Parts: sequence; C-alpha cells; structure tokens
Amino acid sequence: MFWNDFLESFRQAISYGLEIIAIPVLIYFVITNTSLMLLIGVAAWGFSGEQRRKDFAGREQTMTSQLIQGVSIVVPSYNEEAVIVTSVQAMLSLEYPRHEVIVVDDGSTDGMFEKLLEAFDLVRVERELPSDIPTRGAIIDVHIPRNGRTRLVVVRKENTGKTDSVSVGINAAVEPLVVCVDADSILDPSALIVVTKPFADDPIRVVATGGVIRAENGCKVVAGRIVEVNLDKHWIVRIQAVEYLRAFLFGRAGWSGFGALILISGAFAVFRRDVLVEVGGLDPDSIGEDFEIVMRIHRFMIDNDRDYRVQFVAEPVSWTEVPVSTKVLRAQRKRWHRGLWETLWKYRGMLFNPRYGRVGLVALPYFWLFELIAPLVEIFGPVIIILGLLLEVTSANFVLMFMAVAYGYAILVTLFALAMEELTFHKYSRWSELGALLVASVLENVGYRQVTAWWRLEGWWASLRGKKQVWGTMTRQGFDD
Amino acid sequence: MSVGRLLQITLAVVGTLCLLAIATIVIAKNHRRRAGDKSRYLLSVYRNELLAIASDEDEEGEAKQVLFAVPVPIWERLRPSVIAFLSKVRGTAAEDLSDLLRSRGEIERATEMLTSRSGVVRARGAYLLGLVRDRNLAALLIPLLADRDADVRLVAARSLGVIGATQAADGILQALRTSRGRRGLPAWVAVDALLGMGVEIAPAIENGLTSDYAAVRNVCAQVAGHGTIFSAAPRLSILLATAKEGEVRVSAARALGRVGGANEAIALARYTNSSEGAELRRACAVALGELGRQESLDTLVALLGDDDRRLAQLAASSLIQFGEVGIAKLVAVAVDSSPSARAAQGALDLAKLRGQITTDAVDS
Repeated sequence: MFWNDFLESFRQAISYGLEIIAIPVLIYFVITNTSLMLLIGVAAWGFSGEQRRKDFAGREQTMTSQLIQGVSIVVPSYNEEAVIVTSVQAMLSLEYPRHEVIVVDDGSTDGMFEKLLEAFDLVRVERELPSDIPTRGAIIDVHIPRNGRTRLVVVRKENTGKTDSVSVGINAAVEPLVVCVDADSILDPSALIVVTKPFADDPIRVVATGGVIRAENGCKVVAGRIVEVNLDKHWIVRIQAVEYLRAFLFGRAGWSGFGALILISGAFAVFRRDVLVEVGGLDPDSIGEDFEIVMRIHRFMIDNDRDYRVQFVAEPVSWTEVPVSTKVLRAQRKRWHRGLWETLWKYRGMLFNPRYGRVGLVALPYFWLFELIAPLVEIFGPVIIILGLLLEVTSANFVLMFMAVAYGYAILVTLFALAMEELTFHKYSRWSELGALLVASVLENVGYRQVTAWWRLEGWWASLRGKKQVWGTMTRQGFDD
Repeated sequence: MSVGRLLQITLAVVGTLCLLAIATIVIAKNHRRRAGDKSRYLLSVYRNELLAIASDEDEEGEAKQVLFAVPVPIWERLRPSVIAFLSKVRGTAAEDLSDLLRSRGEIERATEMLTSRSGVVRARGAYLLGLVRDRNLAALLIPLLADRDADVRLVAARSLGVIGATQAADGILQALRTSRGRRGLPAWVAVDALLGMGVEIAPAIENGLTSDYAAVRNVCAQVAGHGTIFSAAPRLSILLATAKEGEVRVSAARALGRVGGANEAIALARYTNSSEGAELRRACAVALGELGRQESLDTLVALLGDDDRRLAQLAASSLIQFGEVGIAKLVAVAVDSSPSARAAQGALDLAKLRGQITTDAVDS
C-alpha cells in the first residue's frame, strides 16, 4: 500500500516536473546546438577568407622585417625534466626575426634545471627582474647561455604555482609581446609569425591573441617538431580531438569573428606586455587564470574607453598532450568548470551591461547559460525524461524526439565542424583517421558527454563549498620517438 | 502537429544533414587527394627544370625553354610553384622566373585582375606585379593605395616597396590615414615599403615629419632612423620636443639614436628625466648608447639607480656600447649591492659572455 502511494506520488511529481521542464529542456538543446552551428559557420566563413588570402599574406616580409615587434616566450615549468630541453630547443628555433625564450623553473624537484644547465651551457648572471607585475615567489637566480647571445633566460624561483611563474616570466620579458606556452606544448615552426600577425597589422588596437590547441597524442614528433599528424589509438583521445576541433577551433574562431572572444587558452596565448602590466598581470588565486585575464582586459579596456581587439588565430597551431586517463581528464574538467564559474561570478557585473557591448550582452549570457549551466541540463534533463518514460508519464515518441534534438543534432554539429576542418585545414590525412573521427563524433554523445558533465558539476560544487583547488599532475611521456 | 509527426520530420532533417555532412567530407577529401596527386606528378616531371631556374643554374636556358613550352593545363598547375619560388629568390633566378611568367601572359592577366570586383583577386594581381619587380608596373599599382579593400592597399604598398617605386612614397604616406571607417596601412608595412625605396625619398620623409597626421609623422620618423636619413635630424628633434603623441616621440628618439649628433644627444639626455613616460625614457637611453657621445655618460650612469629597473638595464647596456670609457664607469659603480651596482654588474656579466669585454678589462 505504502509503496503504491509512494510510486503514485513520485509519478505525479515527475509528471509535474516534466510538464514544466520538458519543452524548455528541448528548446535549450536546440538553442545550444544551433548557436554552435552558427559559431562554426562564422568561423568557417573567416577561415575561407584567410585561406584565399594566404598567398599574399606576406609571411616572407614578416620574417625579414626589422620593424616587427619582438616576442618573449614565457614557459612556466615544474618538473618537466622529460620534455624541457627538446621543447626549449624547438622554441628557440621558431621562425621569427626577434624572440627570446624565458623558462621559469617553479621550484622543480626533478632534474629539469640540471638538464637545461647541461644542454645550454648556462651560467648564473646578476640580472634584476623588474617588479612591473606583483609576484609571490622569491627569485633564486637567473641563468643565461654562456655565449651570451642565445636568447634564453632561465629564472629559478620558489614553488608558488603556474600563474605566479607566468607573472615572473612577464616581468623578465624584454620584448613588447609576451607569448605564454606550456612546457609540453609543441608549436608549429611559423606559429609565432602567424599568431602575432594581428599585432603587426593593427598594433594599437590588438591587445591579445589566442592560437588553436590540438591534440599531440599519436603524432610523430622529432626534435620537438610535429613531423606527421596522426590520430591517437585511444578513443578517449580521439573524442577529445573532435571536441577540441569543435569547441576550441571553430567555437573560439566563431566568437572572434563575432568580435566577442572572452576565452583564449593559456597554453598558447599572446598578450601585449604593456597591457598585461596595466591590468596588473595574472591573478594567482584564480584557477581559470587564462579566462580571468582576458575578462579583466575586456573590462579594463571598455572602462577606459579604449578601442581594442582580442583575436583568435586558427592556424598554425600549438600541439599539446591531452589526458589519456580518466583520472587526469576528470581533474582537468573539474578545474576548467571551476575556473569558468569563479570567473563568471567575479565578472557578473558585466552581465547584461550594455556598456560592455557584445561581451556583456551576448558572450557572457551565452557562457552563463550554455557553458556553465550546460552540465546541469545535460545530467538532469535526460534523467527526468527517462524516468518519465519508465513511469509512463511521457511517450516514447517524446523521448526519441529528445534524443534526436539533444544528441542527433549534436552529432550533426560535430560533423559540420569536421566538414569545415576537411575543407580548410585537413590536418588528418588518412581515410582511417577520418573514419575514426566520424565514429568519435558519435561516441562522444554516448557516455563521454554525460560523464564529463558530471565531472564539471563536481568542479562547480567544489568551488561552491569553498574546497581548496589543487592543480592535477600529468605524467609526460617525452617527445622523441 | 503531433509529437510523432514532429519526430519524423526532425529525424529526417537531422539524418539528411548528417549524411550531407559526411558526403561533403568524403568528396572534399577525395577531390583534394586526386588534385594533389596530379599536381605532384606534374611537378615531379618539371621539378628539375624549375629548380634549375630557381637556383640560377640554367646557364644554357634549356630549362627555361622547356617551361616556356609546357601546355596550358600543365602550366595552370605549375604556376603556383613558380610564384612561390619567385617570392624567395633574387637576381638572375628572379629575372628568369619573371620572364617565364611574362611569356605565359601572367603579367597581362595580373593587370586585368586589378580591375576585378573581388578584393582577393585585385590583391593577387597586385602581389604578382610586385613580385616581378618591374618599375614600369608601378603606375598600375599606385591607384590601388586608395582601394576600398584594406588587403589590396596593403599588398599594393608592399609591391611598390619591392619594386622600389619612389614616386609612390607620397601615396603610401597618404594611405596611412584612417578615414570614414577605412583603416590606414599598418605602420610597419609602410615603413618596410618606404625603406625599399632608398634615400631618394628623403624629401618626402622630411615633409612627412611635419604632417598634421600622427601616423604619418610616426612612420616618417621610423624611416628616417632605419634609412639613416641624416638630413632629417633637425625635424626629428622638433618632433621629440613637441609631438603630443608618446608613440611619435619614441620613434623620433629611436631615429635620433641613428642619425643625431651632439645637439641631439643633449636633447635625448633631457628626455630621460623621470617626468617623462617610461617608453620615451627607455628609448632615449638606448639612443644615447647608439650615439656614443661622451657628454651623455653621466646621464646614463645616473639612470643606473633609477626606480624603473628596465631603464637601468638599458642604460647599463648603452654604457657598454661606449667601449672602454663606458665600461670603466660601470666597473666604478659595480662595487656594492646597491641597485646601480646590480644593473652595472648585470651588463658587465653579459658583455663578458658576449666577448665584448675581457675579464682583464673589468679587473683593471
């Protein structure tokens, strides 16, 4: 008797809940997928224009010009013994007329510094670092190569975290543009020329650019350079490759084309050094420091009535190792979502504020509604709808309709992104890889998406509870075969 | 409409679009592969001839004759490679490749492209005309400096610089102006183009230094410095003293480091004063090092203790450029742990590593 009453009440509750949320959830998925489709369309339009202009883009002139702005590549590093020497060698040999590499050793406990010392014949020098940006960790010493001409600076400091290390690197930088890259990132040889081109073309207005990140796993790497692009054999990596393509390449390019790019990846970002100093540098307490700094730049520029641009550059790219284990992937997604929430909350004053133009009226509401809240809807929407089916308060047709809109449409969006990739950059050359990407775009919606949504909720919840955030560790395999 | 009917329509639309997307991917990949294979094959047939011309080893002109005679469909595939080579070579090789393009009617084609409705096509035409480095073509390119498309203006400026068309100097300076939503040329593109024209454009640069438009003054200051136009020094001094825009003053200071004399050194020393902006002070400190005038020594030594530590480092580096006398000053300062001493010691360390000074010089 009790059980029947409970079941009836539960059925009524679900029925009532479904009446309220079924259609809004359906509409939510339609809008999410349609907006992604639109962003991909905007990005593809921009890419096709860039491809047509490639022949006369003037890369040769950039390489030979004595007037191009110099670049300081800041590489925050902690226990990167396996990759650091190859990585620094590759960065020093990037195609660019004037660039330096600044490695900030964040109190590594492995043999990273010794490897650098030996490989580059480093000597300690008396070099003061300006305090343009406040930093926390005390500087231990500064080293440069013995020949005094190789433009490498190694700064050793106390362990205070990645963000503080980047700030130390910015202080040490002597060039007007600062590129932040991870130690395990592999840059295409012409990456600097292309990612800094917007600064050369519009030096007054462009304040930051972000380059595209792709999955390095599976690629053939020789001497810190990608010589053959391959798709990794792990499905978890293949799915991330598809995800990066849709969200990081086309999503961000779309926002950039729309003039409201609010997130560029810290793994490959370029900033005007003077602007970084003006806004006070990176926030060492933020877990989403790359998102936070771009938001701060937007607010600063608009508050000071400055004409400015933040731009995304789609090619060439930075290649980075994406997580292969669910443990690392979980930590990464928790951190990302936590960073998203904390930054959106910090800049909530810009939300729907007409003073902030497209950023305040379009990009931020979108990120609140379709990025932050997305995992909630992704998890609870399907759960309630399936419960409704089990309790016979909704029809099978409606559930199928939901699946078609939520997942079928999502697969279509990914296929659309893959088609655009094939028409523009076509990085993956084999038919087998193409087939794997097509399968991955379906598999992404079966389990992966729901699990990552749960992890994202965990990150959000941890932040709301005020739990201390720690950076996860990622075991590096090293580059060379 | 019932849910069932709506479901059918949704599934049909999503399914059809998915299939279309997959078909697009497959067709695009297949087409690209086949086109690539064909181009590679054709290039492999003519690769030796093309390389012989590009590396200036076609002494008998045999390779040129072969390429002059290739059928039109093959030429269409070869053309991008010829153009790509032309942008990388100079001298006889460039002339031969230009002759090849001329003989295939590419110059006429590029000239026709300049009147196309498409900005991309106009820019392509302007690019090709620049690559062949024919001064007679400059007249065709100059009007493009006022084109409605920013890319076309940019490519035209570059091409005119490559050609060395001195008559285009005024047009390039004019193209720097932003008006009615039309963005001016990027400064570095204009400077590069103007530098390609040589010292003949000195009068235009000197006039530009008094322009009412800041971007023009800025570019002219940079050209005067990099192009070592000594006659521009008096006007650069005026610009340094009177320009309202910080960027223009910085450019003037940098230029004076290359073309200035005793009077300019005094002016530069004055603008290292702490009341000036950081960028200007730093530019002046570097310029003083480049000028190497003895009367600047004390100014630079004083800057070693400045609160702006980057300025102190630059002042120390400038003192190294003075040679023995500057090094002696640094050695005299580098005796304790004061900020001045640290900046001096840093510069001495670096100079020693670079072999600019010997350990003995420091010790003595």
